[in-house]
Amino acid sequence: MDLTPERNDDEAVGHLSFDPKGVLDAGDGAVLTRLARLVESADPVPDDLVERSLFAITLAGLEAEMMEAVYLDTPLAGVRGAAAARADDTAPTEAKTITFTHDSLTVMISLSPAPGGKVRIDGWAAPAAGLSVELHRPGADVVTVASDEDGRFAFEAVDRGRASLVVRRTDGGAGAVSTPVIEL
Amino acid sequence: MTGSREALPDVDGSGLTLGDRAAIALTEYRNGNHQALGELVREATPLLWHTVRAQGVEHDAAEDVVQSTWVALVRHAETIAEPKAVLKWLLVTAKRAAWEAVRKHRDDEKRRTELPDDSPEHPTSLPAKDPLPDAQVLSDERDRILWSSLQQLPRRCQELLRLVSLADRPDYRYISAAIGMPMGSIGSTRGRCLAKLRTILDEQGDFSWT
Repeated sequence: MDLTPERNDDEAVGHLSFDPKGVLDAGDGAVLTRLARLVESADPVPDDLVERSLFAITLAGLEAEMMEAVYLDTPLAGVRGAAAARADDTAPTEAKTITFTHDSLTVMISLSPAPGGKVRIDGWAAPAAGLSVELHRPGADVVTVASDEDGRFAFEAVDRGRASLVVRRTDGGAGAVSTPVIEL
Repeated sequence: MTGSREALPDVDGSGLTLGDRAAIALTEYRNGNHQALGELVREATPLLWHTVRAQGVEHDAAEDVVQSTWVALVRHAETIAEPKAVLKWLLVTAKRAAWEAVRKHRDDEKRRTELPDDSPEHPTSLPAKDPLPDAQVLSDERDRILWSSLQQLPRRCQELLRLVSLADRPDYRYISAAIGMPMGSIGSTRGRCLAKLRTILDEQGDFSWT
């Protein structure tokens, strides 16, 4: 970040300044630099958000519409959610359910521990239809499973880490949809 | 879209702002070089994160909004008319998606909990208070004073200064789009916000901020 005080001839920047003569003074720059650190400290960017975004970009070429995750919570969830998200880094052992939606399709997945430190993914899609579900992970081959007629599917032992599911209807109806990149 | 190439800043020159680097990254991406975009994701994700969070989006949902903003950029890489404005495009896209997320969240909450005390004054889904910086950071007296002084500003000023602090100074044009302040007034508004903050700081005592 460049907030070093300097004479700036850019007239537009002049309007910003504390000094009516039109120059951001050294104090302005120092205050903003300090503020940036406080902002980061108050609400830190989640550790893996950059990596997840980078992986999501590589999946963008799949032309799948991104589904939206539904986070169920209680009125205090803002606080708990953040705390839980942080706690997840150290103790990701509990079963966790995430629901994704796109238009009329809903996909619910449940993550639970599998032997060898891996994760089991049980999924269920509604309305029930024949689906092919692809598991995408960085640097790994795509794994594809088919749902049963009730829309159930499972990946029995998946390495932990970033992943995204791409769901396609096997009858060719409707386009593919993908979940956001999540951390297993 | 092709005619704007020469309007891009000189890559070798120093003093490029985040907005400049975003423009370069998009142009490079269109030319098949994806590395600059990766660097942009690393650099601009904090600004997007705080933009989204400033709209009241809950933690987990905010992560998805940021992620899908980057995906949207790649999907629209060929159609963004003006690479120079890509930072603004990112901020506006993130902000709109954040509003949408907040709206959906409220709808969901409403469907789930029709509480009798669910009045406009006490909406159930408003986020709790803004999070506080680490106690460790606030152990510095000047940081404590700065943080408490910031809280005394109007909310819009707080949001503006938080975001401006994360970007390069001349990038305010793009920040203005995220804040939804008219272009004509952003400069003076930022000036006013910063001036107000400096005035409050000065009242706290004779600190050197440099």
